[in-house]
Amino acid sequence: MEITIENLERYYGDRRVLYIEKMEIEKGKITAITGPNGCGKTTLLNIIAGLDREFSGVIKYDGKYLNRETVDKMTIVFQKPYLFRRTVFENIEYPLRIRGINKVNRKPLVVDLAKGLEIENLMGKKAHLLSGGESQKVALARALVFKPELLLLDEPTSNIDPDAINTLEREILKFNKETECTVLIVTHNMEQAKRLGNRIIELSYN
Amino acid sequence: MDYITQGFKEAIKLLISLDKEVFKIVSLSILVSTSATVFASLISIPLGVYFGIKRFKGKRMFSRITYTMMSVPSVVVGLVVAIILSRRGPFGQFDLLYTKKAMIIAQTLLVMPLVFGLTYGLAKSRGDIIERVAFTLGANKFHTVTLIIRELKIDILVNIATAFSRAISEVGAVMIVGGNIKGYTRVITTTISMMNSMGDYPMAIALGLVLILISFVIHSIIYSYSQED
Ligand SMILES: Nc1ncnc2c1ncn2[C@@H]1O[C@H](COP(=O)(O)OP(=O)(O)O)[C@@H](O)[C@H]1O
Ligand SMILES: [Mg+2]
Repeated sequence: MEITIENLERYYGDRRVLYIEKMEIEKGKITAITGPNGCGKTTLLNIIAGLDREFSGVIKYDGKYLNRETVDKMTIVFQKPYLFRRTVFENIEYPLRIRGINKVNRKPLVVDLAKGLEIENLMGKKAHLLSGGESQKVALARALVFKPELLLLDEPTSNIDPDAINTLEREILKFNKETECTVLIVTHNMEQAKRLGNRIIELSYN
Repeated sequence: MDYITQGFKEAIKLLISLDKEVFKIVSLSILVSTSATVFASLISIPLGVYFGIKRFKGKRMFSRITYTMMSVPSVVVGLVVAIILSRRGPFGQFDLLYTKKAMIIAQTLLVMPLVFGLTYGLAKSRGDIIERVAFTLGANKFHTVTLIIRELKIDILVNIATAFSRAISEVGAVMIVGGNIKGYTRVITTTISMMNSMGDYPMAIALGLVLILISFVIHSIIYSYSQED
């Protein structure tokens, strides 16, 4: 999914926390966004995800304004993931279940992702009891399982161990390659931005 | 002072001998209040979650009104239902006044705002993050509401128990619309109130103990369930 942004502004009270005159996110590529704390990276992702509608300016997804269909084809992984109080398996299959995909067809999709992310052994565990790294992997699996065309990642690897970071980065790259999903990843780690990004955008204070 | 110990002794005897009348009164209480709690929950829980997470103009005022409605006096609900169900009232043709159905209707209306308010408050404070995640995973309104109910089920169960406790312990509404008719609409609280005014303490004490016991059992079940989760 291609995204074009023009004259995007977001205010909290009379303080402008985000201003983007023009930005294009290329289809099928991984774009990394970096910038100092508080420069509006999370705000930008939430706006693109459709979670924050209190902005002015124009955002288009494949040339169209946000609509139900677009929302169904994209997803976001938060910095601190919220997992459902159910098993890991049930968490990952959730997007498929609400899309009406039957149980028999759901299972292989879930298992496949779990293998890649090295969490097959956690499938029966209650998700809200997992460690930070494990939670983030489950959150990513839940986001990828329905093959979104746009994947938004908000500092998905802050506060997790290097092993888990490697696995997550590998799977993000693999997913982008296999499905040609557009990926937008916010990171404060320049090295990670270079490892993953086809392109790096530096956001500054507005 | 003797009559108190005497009252307790006889109350225990009544309970141990599984007195038929006590049994009938207690089961009717449970039946009426359980039905009311179930009906109220089926309506108020989804609505409470829906309005709790919905953003709309005047939500503050809405909250204030909601929280006020939660503590509406049971006699007022009883009175309103009695007026509606009375012969000359809009539903007079159904001849419901002084029946079990009338009692269930009154208690349902009594605890509906309570269940709604508690669920509404819960969803307002804790539903937001769940709604956001659901939205980003492609959930529609229906999926979102059911997801939030499942995620908050422990707290919702506690709310349901609170509603049941309110229903089974209230006397105003069931007295007015039920009429405390022996063997027909007589429940725990109306009996206690009547026995008290007649000075017949053993029965009143026995039923009081049962009321406390019911409350204890329900909260124990919920407590152990929440520990398990
Ligand atoms: N709910 C809010 N109310 C007021 N200010 C906020 C709110 N959320 C974020 N901000 C402000 O907006 C700015 C950008 O925040 P954010 O997008 O989270 O930054 P980043 O993710 O780049 O660290 C910050 O200065 C932050 O204080
Ligand atoms: Mg941030």
